[in-house]
Amino acid sequence: MHIPDGYLSPSTCAVMYGGAIPFWYLAVRRTKRQLSARFIPLLSVFAAFAFVVMMFNVPLPGGTTGHAVGVGIAAIVLGPWGAIIAILVALFIQALFFGDGGITTFGANCFNMAIAGSLVAYASYRLIAGRASAGSRRRIVGSAIAGYLAINASALLASIEFGIQPMLFKDASGAPLYSPYPLSIAVPAMMIGHLAFGGLAELILTAGVVAYLDRTFPAMLAAGAASSMNPIADEPEAGLATKRATARLWVIVGVLLMLTPLGLLAAGSDWGEWSPGDFSDPAARAEISAESGDQAPPIDPPQGMLKLSRIWTAPISHYAPAFMKSASFGYVLSAMMGCGLILLASLSIAALAKPRRQRETQDEGSTNPRAHFASAGANQKISLVAPGKRKRARGFVERTADGILQAFEYSVQAESVANRDGLLQRIDPRIKVIGMFGLIVVTAMSRNVGTITCLLALALAATVLSGIPVSTLATRIWIAAFVFTGVIMLPSIFITQGQVIGHVPLLGWPITAQGTRAAVYMLLRVETAATIAGLLVLSTEWPHLLKALRVMGVPALLVAVLSMSYRYSFLMLRTAREMFEARRSRLIGSLEGPERRRFAASTAGVLLAKTVGLGNEVYLAMVSRGFQGEPYTLDEFEIKGRDWAMLILFAAIGGLAIWFGQKG
Amino acid sequence: MGLPATVSEPVFEVQEVEYRYHGVSALDRLSLSVGTGQRIAILGANGSGKSTLLRLLDGLCFAERGEVLAFGQRLTEEVLEDREFAIGFRRRVGLVFQDPDVQLFCSTVFDEVAFGPLQLGWPKPEIRRRVSEALDLMEIAHLKTRAPHRLSGGEKKRVALASVLVLDPDILLLDEPIAALDPKSQGKVIDFLIGWGNGAKTILTATHDLDIIEDIADHCYVLQAGRLVSDGPPAALLADQALLEQTSLIHAHRHVHSGQVHTHPHQHHRHEH
Repeated sequence: MHIPDGYLSPSTCAVMYGGAIPFWYLAVRRTKRQLSARFIPLLSVFAAFAFVVMMFNVPLPGGTTGHAVGVGIAAIVLGPWGAIIAILVALFIQALFFGDGGITTFGANCFNMAIAGSLVAYASYRLIAGRASAGSRRRIVGSAIAGYLAINASALLASIEFGIQPMLFKDASGAPLYSPYPLSIAVPAMMIGHLAFGGLAELILTAGVVAYLDRTFPAMLAAGAASSMNPIADEPEAGLATKRATARLWVIVGVLLMLTPLGLLAAGSDWGEWSPGDFSDPAARAEISAESGDQAPPIDPPQGMLKLSRIWTAPISHYAPAFMKSASFGYVLSAMMGCGLILLASLSIAALAKPRRQRETQDEGSTNPRAHFASAGANQKISLVAPGKRKRARGFVERTADGILQAFEYSVQAESVANRDGLLQRIDPRIKVIGMFGLIVVTAMSRNVGTITCLLALALAATVLSGIPVSTLATRIWIAAFVFTGVIMLPSIFITQGQVIGHVPLLGWPITAQGTRAAVYMLLRVETAATIAGLLVLSTEWPHLLKALRVMGVPALLVAVLSMSYRYSFLMLRTAREMFEARRSRLIGSLEGPERRRFAASTAGVLLAKTVGLGNEVYLAMVSRGFQGEPYTLDEFEIKGRDWAMLILFAAIGGLAIWFGQKG
Repeated sequence: MGLPATVSEPVFEVQEVEYRYHGVSALDRLSLSVGTGQRIAILGANGSGKSTLLRLLDGLCFAERGEVLAFGQRLTEEVLEDREFAIGFRRRVGLVFQDPDVQLFCSTVFDEVAFGPLQLGWPKPEIRRRVSEALDLMEIAHLKTRAPHRLSGGEKKRVALASVLVLDPDILLLDEPIAALDPKSQGKVIDFLIGWGNGAKTILTATHDLDIIEDIADHCYVLQAGRLVSDGPPAALLADQALLEQTSLIHAHRHVHSGQVHTHPHQHHRHEH
């Protein structure tokens, strides 16, 4: 449902921005006047939740959104205006960093998902659940319908926007300029999928979370439903996740889990998110026409689409290259990750239990009590309660949380490198942000291996001149980008049609020249973009990055939400890790299946509860120091002559790269 | 239970206040009074309502029954919506939360300390000067470009204190100021509280740590399950073993002396020198 660049005409995009802006304005006004004064931290932590989920979503080459942060639940808890802001932030991050949804179509995507979705969800929830008391079925039914209707309203809007394109925008020969299919094809093609599967997922997610909240924090739902100004004064306690709520949550997680293969079936291509190259690719053409009422797409990609789709190519983008045949792989990933942290956590905890049980039986067999006691004593410094051996039994979730935490810490720790006196560190953060973002865009747009290689060489020179260890880049960025891109690009080597230059031993899969070239080119592009992005992060302190955004005219509210999201997703991850550690330290025997699942579900629930509680606490701490809804910040940067020189240098490099890069 | 000892005009008056969390009573018909320049300890076990009381006094939550008066003005949501009053009130009353992670939400220590003054609309040169002073006062000037969440527990606490003290409040509310700090950091905080304000400032400290109350308070209120059960000067309270045991502030401590186990009430008193 994230409409890519090129599918809507510039005028449609303008209209959709025009439609969205009043709502953004209203939402900011409303949240500022009534809600945000109370809900900013809550909103921030909801965005932080989205942020964490989106970190799991990073390698999203496939077509679809995870919808891990449903519009429905956001609208019910935050109210429509708060939800618009929260989803807006989520979409903003998606479009900018993860290349999901276009830049020209950002207004439209916002309108469909954030605005229409929130309003529909909120209205239908109020209509049905209205003043229903805590524990009433109407709340759950209302939320389910709200989620279902919201996502379908969004899909309907998107399909209409797709469908009017060929009616309004044609070239001289009558061929469509942008999205090629008329309403009669676009609407059924999108709506059937959403009425069936997409809506169901949102329905389950919304109803599930509402059911959980209804049992544990009924005040939260009342506050949202009445759009009242009651502060959510919850004191979450770990013990609050009752047995029944836990069971219910697990049912929701289980159903979502079972739905994942459905997502796989529907994966081939998301309707309306084909890359321009797909139009000339026979296999993709067949798929497109099968999805579109057996109506073959135009032979040549629409001209306007070709032009617009080049505006913004995210370094890791699902719709850019024609040779990326891994859409289904991407869909599995997105289904797995997008279904949410809950699903992922339970899956992984279930998966980790087996090795531990085996290890423990061995331990008990071989060790006599005295030796066991001694070993526990020796390990006391490391873990006070657990017998030492268990120290190593770490689950996938813990390792993932750890990994993300380390990445976070690392990006914060970059301050040691960022504080050094080097070429990049001396540049004013604003200039650096503009210049390096520009170079990333240029890299993504380049279709010429030589140009990209030159950009990479320049980035390396800057690395050395800034005193940033190349080994840091290699371990933190190059390997990660290589592994990540490699996984996605590997299939393209075999699947892309063309001149066969060899075969994989044993398997006999053909390797084509075109596929290999495409893979190398893609890899180089990703590595270069990642290097530049890495340099930006490494050479700039995070607060300065945020301040640069602020100075460059991004609203203070948005920057505050971003910075607090960053700050508190860090804290939440640490909380999650501590919860796992605490559990590990108390665990003597191995857990049985149902217990394990209950723990997984209650962990997710408790984490959400803690998040909400934390949001409220932080809000109170802000109010206590005089915060009244509008954050004031101290911005002080000074652009010197050297900075202007660097800006010119950035522009020159970018200009040259564009000039040479177009000669594909 | 004696009359509330007011030294001069009261800054806070709490009258018959009731407050509940989800139907569980946190404060139950509580009345007390705080005079200008008093140093008060609010004693009570976990869950006795200390934090709730501080939040009521700081105008962060509001009583369901009864009223809280600050400087003679009744504290209500409506009153604090008024920007003029809110700015004055927030300047004069500062609350240091128990968990510094809650209080430190900015991206650098400097920004953190500057947050309060910025919200109150002080002129920027003034803010810079006052922030530097507060950082020096807490001996954390060297940390000012660091991210607050990457500091040690003791450093975080000092940043939290600086972020409140930068406003030069007349009344300082502290929620468990030395909980979870190492002895040296505890000592620093206590030393500061002893020296701060030269008697002109009002300090309310919520704690269950009997070691420190003689240093930081000249009057104590003892809470149990949201009710005021006793009040008086620290020395008198510390002498009342029955009361302290009843309110879970001390516990019978069993330990071993030369092979013999014996039990006696235990209160981690600081040594007299």
